[in-house]
Amino acid sequence: MTTEPAVAVRGLTKIFPVPFRRNPLVAIRDLDLQVVAGEVYGLLGPNGSGKSTTLKIILGLVSPTRGEAKIFGRSSSLVSSRAGVGFLPENPYFYRYLTGQETLSFFGKLCGLRRDRLRKRIDELLKLVGLTNARERRLGTYSKGMLQRIGLAQALINDPKLVVLDEPTAGVDPAGSRAICDLILDLKRRGITALLSSPLLAQAQEICDRVGILANGILIREGKLEELIAIENRSEFVLENASDALVAEIEALAQRSNAKLIARRKSTTTLERLFLDATKDRPNE
Amino acid sequence: MTTETALDFQHRAFSPGRVFAITSNTLTELTRQKVFYVVLIFALLLIGSSIVLARFSFQQEFQILKDVSLGAISIFTSLLAIVATARLIPQDIEDRTVYTILAKPVARFEYLIGKLIGVLLLLAISTAIMSAMFLAVLYFREQSALHETARQLANAPQEQLEDALRAVRASAFNYNLVPGIAVIYLKSCLLASLALFISTFASTNIFTIVVMTFVYLIGHLQATAREYWLQENVPTWTARVFLALVALLFPDLQAFNLVDDVVAGAAIPLAVFVKTAVLGLFYTTIYAFLAAFVFYGKEL
Repeated sequence: MTTEPAVAVRGLTKIFPVPFRRNPLVAIRDLDLQVVAGEVYGLLGPNGSGKSTTLKIILGLVSPTRGEAKIFGRSSSLVSSRAGVGFLPENPYFYRYLTGQETLSFFGKLCGLRRDRLRKRIDELLKLVGLTNARERRLGTYSKGMLQRIGLAQALINDPKLVVLDEPTAGVDPAGSRAICDLILDLKRRGITALLSSPLLAQAQEICDRVGILANGILIREGKLEELIAIENRSEFVLENASDALVAEIEALAQRSNAKLIARRKSTTTLERLFLDATKDRPNE
Repeated sequence: MTTETALDFQHRAFSPGRVFAITSNTLTELTRQKVFYVVLIFALLLIGSSIVLARFSFQQEFQILKDVSLGAISIFTSLLAIVATARLIPQDIEDRTVYTILAKPVARFEYLIGKLIGVLLLLAISTAIMSAMFLAVLYFREQSALHETARQLANAPQEQLEDALRAVRASAFNYNLVPGIAVIYLKSCLLASLALFISTFASTNIFTIVVMTFVYLIGHLQATAREYWLQENVPTWTARVFLALVALLFPDLQAFNLVDDVVAGAAIPLAVFVKTAVLGLFYTTIYAFLAAFVFYGKEL
């Protein structure tokens, strides 16, 4: 197991000149961040906060104005640093004239996979993303969610150690979004590092180990999720089958010890879970 | 799951396998576009229509047939080279496909070379199809002329008949057609490479097509203008540098126009063919290098 961080970014600044304007656009300012191997790191922030630019610099698609980015200890400006990386861009449009299988074959060949190994890998990935039945269909006929899933499959074609996902659930319906989140959690279980950007905070909260929050190109908060969102002076109990008497007793006990009861309510499911349960097993008519 | 990971691979700075993957994908992309078939069908129709040309003497007929067909091959391969190449890079950037490709261990020059070779293969296929159609029409007309001549000279002495048939054969196919077609192909390669270079900094394919149209027109006129100017003036070294720059920016496309000689039945000297071929390969390579240089520093 490598001891190098999966991603190490130091003093990263990116300035884009704006034609006919004196003031250039500073997309990222002095960014430092590290993604530890094996974790899921979420880069959060509003639109235009510099998330995609950061990911592009890490992947060597854009050169930094100052600072450096490394992938497993190799400068991301080197092509070889991307040998163990998979990338899913935001709203990807792959070649519409290729079938799902041809798409994976093309990206596999770019990664040096050939013949039996490539065929086996394509079968594995189509099964993993649930597109085995659509393997012979051209991507022009795929839905948004299917495109996103084939995008994730191409990102995994080279069995990467690091996957970089730029808004992986953008524009996908809740079921597709759930499937993608489950795939990311599955990657984590298999020891694959994931660096993802997302404006969807609830989703990031569910799948990320650590998050960094970008605003105007500056990393304003960073840390383990549970530490960042914990409220120090508050505690929660979730009881099942508690009688009214027991609840009353707990309330009384809290009052006697000068604690303040903030809220008492029935436990609820999430809207996502409600939607998924309601639409499950109902094929499109 | 496979146990060997991508990190275990020994990365090579240049991989023919990666270039081939991009080349074959580019060829698939281009041959699945309607524009390829539209251009090809127009060219084939034009060449095929030569079969019903007004019947002059067979020499005139073959000359017109060659003129029309080689002209059609030249214009349509040039058109295809520009139109097919102009959209390759901007389209990939607009669709973000270029991100997924370059986020793999693929060097930018490998991507560009793969794209260029894909276009050059498409041009080779188109040139081959158009040439096959042209040669088939030429053969058909030659056979027809041979039969007609044999019929007309049925009662003439054998020697006169053989002379006449030899004259028909000499007017129809001659081996100069092959280098003539090869030079047309080289011209289209040059145009494709230049279009690729322009498309590396163009934001739309329309821009590339408009610029290439000007380059095409100026490229055909610049040699005449240069010769006229040199006859009238004694060139200084600054003028020579300027002319060299113009020649680099606007390749002398007239130098690739050997069709007139071929149509007239004149032989293309080997030295002229080699010089033209080297010039074509030189321009194609220079523009490919320039494209790689610009694309290397491009912010995607």
